[in-house]
Amino acid sequence: MTGREALGRRAGGLLLGLLLLASAGGVVALKLRSEEIVRRELPGSSLRFLPSGRTLKAVSFGYSSLLADIIYIWAIQYYSDPSIGDRFSRLDHIFGVISDLDPKYSEPYLIGALIAAYEARDPGLALKVLDRAMDKNPDDWIYPFEAGHYAQMMMKDYRLAQDYYRRAMELPGAPDIARRLYANALFRSEDLDSAWKTWLEVYTTATDDRIRKIASNHLYQVKASLDTRLINEAVARFRDRFGRPPLSLEQLVSSGLLKSLPRDLDDTPYVYDPETGETTTALIPWKR
Amino acid sequence: MAAVLAIDNLRKSFSPGFIPRRKEILKGVSLEVEPGEIFGYLGPNGAGKTTTLKCLLGLIFPDSGSLTLFGRPHLSLSARERLGYLPESPYFYDHLTAMEFLDFYARLFGLKKTERRKRIAGLLERVGLADAGRIPLRKFSRGMLQRAGLAQALVNDPDLLILDEPLGGLDPIGRKELRDIILEQKRRGKTVFLCSHILQDIEMICDRVAILVAGRIMSSGRLRDLVSEKIKFTEIEISGLKREELAGLGESLAGQEGRILLKVVGEDKVDDVLSLVLSRKGRVHSLLPRSLTLEDLFLDTVKSS
Amino acid sequence: MSRIGVIALNTFREAVRDRILYLLLFFAGATILLSRLLSLLTVGDRLKIIMDVGLAALSFFGALMAILIGTSLVHKEIDKKTIYTLLSKPLRRIEFLLGKFLGLVVTLLVMLSLMTLFFQAYLLLLGGGINGRVFLAALYIFLEMVLLTAVAILFSTFSTPILASLFSLSFFLIGHFSRGLLTLIRKIPAGFSRTGLRVLYLLLPDLENFNLKTEAVHGLSIPAKWLLTSAAYGLFYALLILTLAVIIFRRRDFT
Repeated sequence: MTGREALGRRAGGLLLGLLLLASAGGVVALKLRSEEIVRRELPGSSLRFLPSGRTLKAVSFGYSSLLADIIYIWAIQYYSDPSIGDRFSRLDHIFGVISDLDPKYSEPYLIGALIAAYEARDPGLALKVLDRAMDKNPDDWIYPFEAGHYAQMMMKDYRLAQDYYRRAMELPGAPDIARRLYANALFRSEDLDSAWKTWLEVYTTATDDRIRKIASNHLYQVKASLDTRLINEAVARFRDRFGRPPLSLEQLVSSGLLKSLPRDLDDTPYVYDPETGETTTALIPWKR
Repeated sequence: MAAVLAIDNLRKSFSPGFIPRRKEILKGVSLEVEPGEIFGYLGPNGAGKTTTLKCLLGLIFPDSGSLTLFGRPHLSLSARERLGYLPESPYFYDHLTAMEFLDFYARLFGLKKTERRKRIAGLLERVGLADAGRIPLRKFSRGMLQRAGLAQALVNDPDLLILDEPLGGLDPIGRKELRDIILEQKRRGKTVFLCSHILQDIEMICDRVAILVAGRIMSSGRLRDLVSEKIKFTEIEISGLKREELAGLGESLAGQEGRILLKVVGEDKVDDVLSLVLSRKGRVHSLLPRSLTLEDLFLDTVKSS
Repeated sequence: MSRIGVIALNTFREAVRDRILYLLLFFAGATILLSRLLSLLTVGDRLKIIMDVGLAALSFFGALMAILIGTSLVHKEIDKKTIYTLLSKPLRRIEFLLGKFLGLVVTLLVMLSLMTLFFQAYLLLLGGGINGRVFLAALYIFLEMVLLTAVAILFSTFSTPILASLFSLSFFLIGHFSRGLLTLIRKIPAGFSRTGLRVLYLLLPDLENFNLKTEAVHGLSIPAKWLLTSAAYGLFYALLILTLAVIIFRRRDFT
């Protein structure tokens, strides 16, 4: 190649290189820009189309339990994303699909109910999930057991709780506490202290890790409820006194409204949002 | 006058696949083609002829060395405007008709519509496809495709026509027609660069040749100079003598019907043979002086490398 | 006509003859027609299912067309050696590549238009009326197809059609799931790997930018800023891919 020709080619190559960098820069810049733009969400629109369980089972070619796993794992991520505002609207459907694909898979039932109860604050939905579990697994005591807890502690429906506990205690392998809970449901119990006591009993008498973990999660939730109630009361008093919400939780202590800051069951501090005045747990309880 | 094509110390090697070992194909090729001549580029298969052409046409990039066309860098568009190329076993767009196909290339040269139409009609006539203009190329026979390829190479009336093994698929009539076209190009003052290993045709039309063996130019120059007019040996066909009597005068090859074909080297030996035949009252059936052919030169060159 | 235009026209005429396009067109049409059956299984808004399925068909089959045609056409030139005579003409390699790209884009435009018109006609027949948002969604599907074509061409410059198709398909899948990387990034503590992932995330294609299906189906308003940013993103990304393709193609030896 002559010198001039080589130079010409090199100049072209340089131009292309610059163009490459420029377009890459443009891409990144526009990507950042697009992240700022929020797209309107419609209820249920974030999950537009999940076919029914029966359909999926038909097309899963014998891999239905694997598909159940995959959907369950996805569901966990889906429900941990607080930015998806309408995520609870399809909870029944999603966990129904998992149930259709693998009816014996117990964790999704329990976690689905937990999410419904504590995150969506819809204990009726939790019971729906557990009813389906009982339907497909009539000999498992854990489902009516859990259902009893939700009925009693969240819905304060003692009749319903009794029915569930009685069913649980009659199934093989049920722990002794089921009987006690049945008895307990016969009396009125109003406060969270009783819930704490009950769950603590479950925890200490648990025969395997699964129960222990579930009880621990419930204990976490109860403590969190107790603690946040305490904190919220203090925040209200702070507001009354100083005319504005505190900027941090430490201010509640320094102003003498609280003796000390409560921490959650894992000894992690609670998260406070000074703009809304709300206190939440640092992490999602059923992902501990 | 400046050389139409000048290659200086062209080197190219390839590394097949992922093997880091490089195979050197062209080991420093240099040649020049003068305007208005027909240049023959010869060599055995695998010598690197097609590689040289591909370097010239910008299909592959040489490792080192320079190539100039009409005094300009070989990759420049102005040089390629005056170039025409017919590849070996050409493939074309099956779905186009011959006329559409030529129209496509003509447009690339920026020819206007009326000019295109005129030129395409003329080209089809010239290559003998006047009746096949509207037939899609996928229906063409091998020979017809070759002609279409030639037409495509001539679409811009190139000052340099490069042909890679063009005579292969043609019947004797086709070969003659192609030779005629090449000679016509020369008459019009154009240059032709011909890659071939059909030596009879090269011998017939080329002015200068270069022989490439294993990536190196082993021999190059005017054909007439390389292939001397010196008589190499003489073939004499005689009868009426016995073989033993001719021993020592030349190499005898068996002939038909009692005839003997004798290969005699040297003028004086020929005289000896003739006088022997005369004295024995035998007959001379034919006497053929054989000079060095291109084939001989070719085989010798390849053998000696 | 410029040289790029000549190549583009020739490419278009060659591409339009490819039977794969019509096969995919047929399947897209069949899917749209069958959506009616699916809608009969639901209670309430039947039109929603048909819109959903129809737009999904346009997007899916459009992407397939872009990938399959893109990979096969460039490879055919190189494999069948028609490229030898072409590059010996006064044609720059970049003009060849751009001409091919343009020809393919026009082909896909025609195909997508046919599908969209068919779909809109079907909607009209079912009493859905003329929906401007459908055309807008289709336009952005087209943008996505343009980007996929560039990607298909890029991979064709250096690999076989099957590999190139696989790579292009991966690009498509990554493009639609790249937002999932965000959730992963949020969970990782700040540091080297987090920044690394963030950089990767910014460079990976985000094809969800062109997904207006939800807005079309639910009749949501689409902010103009979104439309402009997405279109510009698509064009810049296509430019990036094409530049890369030209760089590779320029230096390639055609043995």
